[in-house]
Amino acid sequence: MLQRRHIHDYIARHAMLAATLFAGGLVIAIAVALYLRAHPLLASQSLAALLRGHTWAPSRGEFGFLPFIAGTLWVTAVAAALAVPVCLLAAVYLAEYAGPRVRAVVKPLIDVLAGIPSVVYGVWGLLVVVPYIAETLGPYAQRHWAHLPLLHTDYTTGFSILAGGVVLAIMISPAIIAIADEVLRAVPREYREAAQALGATRAETITRVVARKALPGLAAAVVLGLSRALGETMAVLMVVGNWPHVPTSIFDGAYPLPALIANNYGEMMSIPLYDAALLGAAFLLLVLVLAFNLLARVVLVRATREAV
Amino acid sequence: MKTFLTALVAATLLVTLGTTALAQPPQHLRGTLSLSGAWAIYPLAVKWGEAFTKKYPDVKLDISAGGAGKGMTDVLAGAVEIGMVSREVDRAEKAKGAFPIFIAKDGVFPTASAKNPALAQLQAKGLSVKTFTDIYITGRVTSWRQAVGGPHAPIHVYTRSDACGAASAWAATLGAYKQDDLKGIGVYGDPGLLETVRRDPLGLAYNNLSYVFSGDALAKGIVIVPIDANKNGKVDPAERIDTREKAYAEIASGRYPGARREYFVTKGAPKGLARAFIEFALSDAGRKILESVGGYVPLSEKESAAELRRF
Repeated sequence: MLQRRHIHDYIARHAMLAATLFAGGLVIAIAVALYLRAHPLLASQSLAALLRGHTWAPSRGEFGFLPFIAGTLWVTAVAAALAVPVCLLAAVYLAEYAGPRVRAVVKPLIDVLAGIPSVVYGVWGLLVVVPYIAETLGPYAQRHWAHLPLLHTDYTTGFSILAGGVVLAIMISPAIIAIADEVLRAVPREYREAAQALGATRAETITRVVARKALPGLAAAVVLGLSRALGETMAVLMVVGNWPHVPTSIFDGAYPLPALIANNYGEMMSIPLYDAALLGAAFLLLVLVLAFNLLARVVLVRATREAV
Repeated sequence: MKTFLTALVAATLLVTLGTTALAQPPQHLRGTLSLSGAWAIYPLAVKWGEAFTKKYPDVKLDISAGGAGKGMTDVLAGAVEIGMVSREVDRAEKAKGAFPIFIAKDGVFPTASAKNPALAQLQAKGLSVKTFTDIYITGRVTSWRQAVGGPHAPIHVYTRSDACGAASAWAATLGAYKQDDLKGIGVYGDPGLLETVRRDPLGLAYNNLSYVFSGDALAKGIVIVPIDANKNGKVDPAERIDTREKAYAEIASGRYPGARREYFVTKGAPKGLARAFIEFALSDAGRKILESVGGYVPLSEKESAAELRRF
């Protein structure tokens, strides 16, 4: 009898181990597959030349990835700048201030936002955000922001980093708000009571005690949102202009890596190096997201060590 | 006696085979034929397929759309018998055994907004292929003034972001170029591009035949920028395209520079069912179906015959 229970235990433990290894191994399997398919390109040109190249002209054998890397980082940075402050404030309000009735109305609305397919965001961006930037914001920037870095423009068609950033910011908000809200609510009530018993105001309690305790979780929420932003494809592709150059202003068009893959995958695969270049782009995107997560984790470890 | 019987059987067989080849009685074609590829050809292939299966009830057709490149990849990998490809076939693809058969004509048209400030000059002078090249490829021409002597305003150049037959055809119209040589802001899909240029008075784009016209007239708010094909500095009657009928006639005549070819691609010369289907598509019955579908221009009889002679 005892024997059978031991066998059960043994099987269960190893089955779970296998499941865990399988999930973890997927990342490695995907990376290896992408690398192998991208290999013909890496064999024909040096990695440094590919990463620093400005020109994307596969028909002439030029595969410069710099415009796409820059495009990805620009769009993600704009989305982060727009989304993170708003999301964190919204999460603090929902967790700390909002009454149950406000929560009951607002939370489901935000969850619905998370469920909207990305192509719908793209169409909305095309119909609303792009024309607004072309007709209102762009001309204003042209007159008043001509000498500002990052914001200057001679003319914008509306298909721009800003349009991509706005659409992305809205898309990643629900996840950031939901996770940040959960994290803040998980902070034990005793912390708040202790702070307030010492005479701290509500705002002081939140910034000095709750936010500090919740910092790793809040950072995780932001990292998760931005990881999604790095890889989001369809909605961005529809509004970002898909122009392979290194941008200098948020009113320029850009061409993020996922858009490059989506626009051309399947269409050009019968041309030898193009195939390798697109899978190289996919590999690069994977590396970018992994590096970003790694960096975030390192920063996070440092931050928590200092906070405690 | 035995030899006589054998001879008789052989003769009967020969006669049967002979009549099969000549009259093609329906019951002798059977099996499944699969096609995949360009969205641009899909509706036409479906109509051809309906008529073909009516004629040969034992034949099953499996037609799917997923883009020209998918059709090409599938046919080269042997996953389908016929790939539908709405662009010119690359040399690397031919080296792998791609055998393109020209099955229909289509066209891509440069478009601008009806609110374009240089509209009068554009419709009087048109733009030469060289000017289009300077706008789309070299970037030497950047304003409507440089292009046609219109007002001093920049040209907002738009192109397709997704790899597609229309962009390949437009690049090929301008010279020995590929889609990635085209400059401009990339917009996804034909409808997106049309909507963008409709809204932007300074915009310049290109669209497929089937999107430029709604009914017989031009889509609302859009003009076709005349291509000054003979480079005489003015728009001749043949170069002014403002109705669907006129567009068809100019593409059919072979004069229109933006004409584009649609292909069925097989791996090696077509055999068996694929061959029968392609022969049907290029027959008179096939041509009638093509005309009824709309959005495509048939090959001339001479061109059809020339294609049929190739295999």
